[in-house]
Amino acid sequence: MSALAQQWGESLRSATPAQGPRWLDELRLRASDQLTAHGLPQRKDEDWKYTPMRVLEKLNPAIAYHPGSENHFLEKGQTTERGLNGKWFSDPIFPAALLDKPDYEIRVYDGVLVGHEGSDRPGVTVLSLTEGLQRYESLLRKHIESVDISGSAQAFTALNTATLNQGLVIHIDQQVDAGTMLLRWALSGKAGPSIHNFRVFLLLGEGTRLQLIEQFESADHSGSALNVVVHVELGSNAVLDHLRLQNESENTVLMSSTRIDQAQGSRYLYAGFDLGGGLVRHELKTVFGGSGAHATFLGAFVLDNARHVDNHISVDHASPGCSSEQFFRGVLGGRSRGVFNGKALIRPGADESSVRQSSANLLLSPLAQIDTKPELEIYADEVEARHGATVGQLDEAAIFYMRSRGLGEAEAKRLLVAAFCRAVTDRLENQALAGRISQLIDQAMPSFTQEN
Amino acid sequence: MLEIKNLHVTVGGKAILKGLDFSIEAGQVHAIMGPNGSGKSTLGNVIAGREGYEVTQGEVLYKGKNLLELAPEVRACEGIFMAFQYPVEIPGVNNTYFLRAALNAQRKYRGEPELDSMEFLKLVREKLKILHINDDLLHRAVNEGFSGGEKKRNEIFQMAVLEPVLAILDETDSGLDIDALRLVAEGVNRLRSDDRAMIVITHYQRLLDHIVPDKVHVLADGKIVARGGAELALKLEEQGYTWLEQGGIQSLGAELRA
Ligand SMILES: Nc1ncnc2c1ncn2[C@@H]1O[C@H](COP(=O)(O)OP(=O)(O)OP(=O)(O)O)[C@@H](O)[C@H]1O
Ligand SMILES: [Mg+2]
Repeated sequence: MSALAQQWGESLRSATPAQGPRWLDELRLRASDQLTAHGLPQRKDEDWKYTPMRVLEKLNPAIAYHPGSENHFLEKGQTTERGLNGKWFSDPIFPAALLDKPDYEIRVYDGVLVGHEGSDRPGVTVLSLTEGLQRYESLLRKHIESVDISGSAQAFTALNTATLNQGLVIHIDQQVDAGTMLLRWALSGKAGPSIHNFRVFLLLGEGTRLQLIEQFESADHSGSALNVVVHVELGSNAVLDHLRLQNESENTVLMSSTRIDQAQGSRYLYAGFDLGGGLVRHELKTVFGGSGAHATFLGAFVLDNARHVDNHISVDHASPGCSSEQFFRGVLGGRSRGVFNGKALIRPGADESSVRQSSANLLLSPLAQIDTKPELEIYADEVEARHGATVGQLDEAAIFYMRSRGLGEAEAKRLLVAAFCRAVTDRLENQALAGRISQLIDQAMPSFTQEN
Repeated sequence: MLEIKNLHVTVGGKAILKGLDFSIEAGQVHAIMGPNGSGKSTLGNVIAGREGYEVTQGEVLYKGKNLLELAPEVRACEGIFMAFQYPVEIPGVNNTYFLRAALNAQRKYRGEPELDSMEFLKLVREKLKILHINDDLLHRAVNEGFSGGEKKRNEIFQMAVLEPVLAILDETDSGLDIDALRLVAEGVNRLRSDDRAMIVITHYQRLLDHIVPDKVHVLADGKIVARGGAELALKLEEQGYTWLEQGGIQSLGAELRA
C-alpha cells in the first residue's frame, strides 16, 4: 500500500467522528475501513490502468476536515465571513465567471460552501448537506448508500463517504423550471496541500428543468486536491443541461464521480471541458430506469505539459427505447496524457435502443498519449449502435495550404485545433457560452512556437 | 522577377526536376505545358515552399533574392501565390475567416493596417461582383465539400483578394465549365499589370485563347525542352506530346529548342 493511503488511514482513525444520523456514522466507518484496507487505485484495477496516482502522491495532500462549518450555510443573499453586506466578497480566488447573471450562484471554496445568491423561484430549494439531511433524509440516504465504496478502484468514493459532512442539496419540485445555476469551485492550497471532499445532490422532480454550469477554476495555483461525488436524480421528463468546465493549475488534482438515475422520458445533457489540471478524472454513470430517456455526453480536452485527464463514461440501457451519445474530442500536446473510456451496456429486453459513440483525438507532440476505448455490450434486439475512435495528427497538407496564403505556422495550427474542438462547442445551445469556451480553448492550446 | 537556374529536385529520393531553367519578368504572363508527370506541379510546389521537395542543385531567385531559404508564409507575404491543382479541404475553418486572417497576416508583414471584418466584407463583395462567384461558398469551411470547379473558383477568388505579385496557376482550368473558364481568365487578366507576373500551367489551348501568354514553355522529364510564343501552344495542341517526344523537338526551329 502506498505511503499516502497509509497516511490517510491514520488520519481517518484519529479524526473526531462527525455526528449525524446513526446509519451515516456507521457508513462513514465502513468507508474508512475500506479505504484503509485497500488503499489507492492501482494499475491492476482495470478502470485505472491508464491513470496512475503519481501526481497525487507527489502532491501528498492531507485530508481536510471541516467540522461544524457546515452549520453556517447561509440563507439566500447572505454571505459568510468571506463576504460583506449581501454582496460577494470580491475574492480573487474566483476568476471571471463563465456565465453572467445566472439565476443562482453557489460557491464552494476549499471544499466548504461559502454562500449562494439566487432568485426566488418557488419550488427550488438550495440547502447545505446538514439541512438537506434534516429535510430529505430518506431520499439522501438512498443515494448515499447506493455508492460503491469497495476495493481500491473505489478509493475516492470511499474517502468521500468516510469524510462525508460537506455538501450541497438542490431540490426542484415537479414541473418547475429552475433556470440557470452557476456552481463555482475554487481551491487555495492555503493550509498546505489538502484533499477536500464534497457531495452534491441534484434532485429534479417530474417535468423539471435546470441548466447547471460548474466551473472549476482557481486564481491561486498553489496546489490542492478536490474529490467530488455527485448524485443526479431525474424524474420523468426532467431535463438537466449540465456543463462542466475545468481550468485548473498543473498542481491540482480533481476526482469527480457522478451518478445519474434517469426516469422515463428524462434528458441528461452533459458537456465537459477540461483545459487544465494536473491529474483529473471524471467518472459519469447514467442508468436508464424508464423508457424514452436520453443522455448525451459531450467532451473536449485540450492539454499541454504533463497534464492528465481521464473521462470514464458509462451508460446503462436498463430500459427499452432509450438513446445515448458520447462525443469526445481530445487535443494533446507536450507530454500530456488523455484517457477516454466509454461504456454502453444494452441489457436484455432494452430493445430499440440507440447508442452512438465518437472519440477523435489529435496528438500534437510525439510524447503526448491518448488511450481511447469504446466498450459496447449489446444483449437486446433492434439496437442501433455506432462507434468510432480515431487518433491522428494535424493535417500537414492543410497547414501548408494555410501557410502558402500567408498565415504563420503557429497560427495555422491554432486554426486547425480550434476547428477540431468546434465540433463540440458548436453543439452547445447557448451561443454566448460556446463563444467563451472557445476563447478558453484558444488560451489552453499548447504553444506552437516551440516544438512541444 | 523570378529566375530559376539549373534546378534539380528530388521527391522521396526520386529525381523529378533535372536541370530546369526558367525566368519571367514583371508584366509578363508565361504558360508552362507538358505531359503528365513531367514535373510541372513539382515546380510550383518548390516555388511555394512545400516540404518534402529536396533541391539538390541550382537556385531560385525571386526579386533578386534566394527564395528557397524563405518559409512558405514569408513567400506568400512577399507576394507569391499558388493556385493549387488540388486545393486542400480544411473542415471547420471558415472560408471567409481564413481569407481575412491570411490577408491580414500579409498586410501586417508589409506594415499596413489590418482590415476589420466590415472593411474586409466590403472588399470581398467587390471581388465577388467582378468574379461572379456565388457568395454561399464564403460561409462554408475552406473547400470542404466543394465541387472540383468550385475549388478552382475559390482559388481564383483568394488570388483576387490577396493580389499577389507572382501568381502560379496550376491547371486551374481543368474541370471548369465554359463560364468558369472565362471567369478564371478574367481573374488573371484583371491582375495583369506592369509590376506583376503570372505563370499558367495548363494542358489546353482553351485557356490560352483568353489569356494570351507572352511565352510558352514546354516541360518534359524535368527540363524545359522548348520555348516559344503563344503559337507554340497551338502547335502542341495539334501534334500532341508524343510527337514532341518522338523527335518533334528536332523539327522545331532552333529558336524554339531550349
Ligand atoms: N511524394 C512523391 N513521391 C514520389 N513521387 C512523387 C511524389 N510527388 C510527385 N511525384 C512524382 O513526380 C512526378 C512529377 O509530378 P508532378 O505532379 O510534378 O507532375 P505534373 O507535371 O504536374 O503532372 P500532371 O500534368 O499530371 O499534373 C510524377 O511522376 C509523380 O508521380
Ligand atoms: Mg500537376
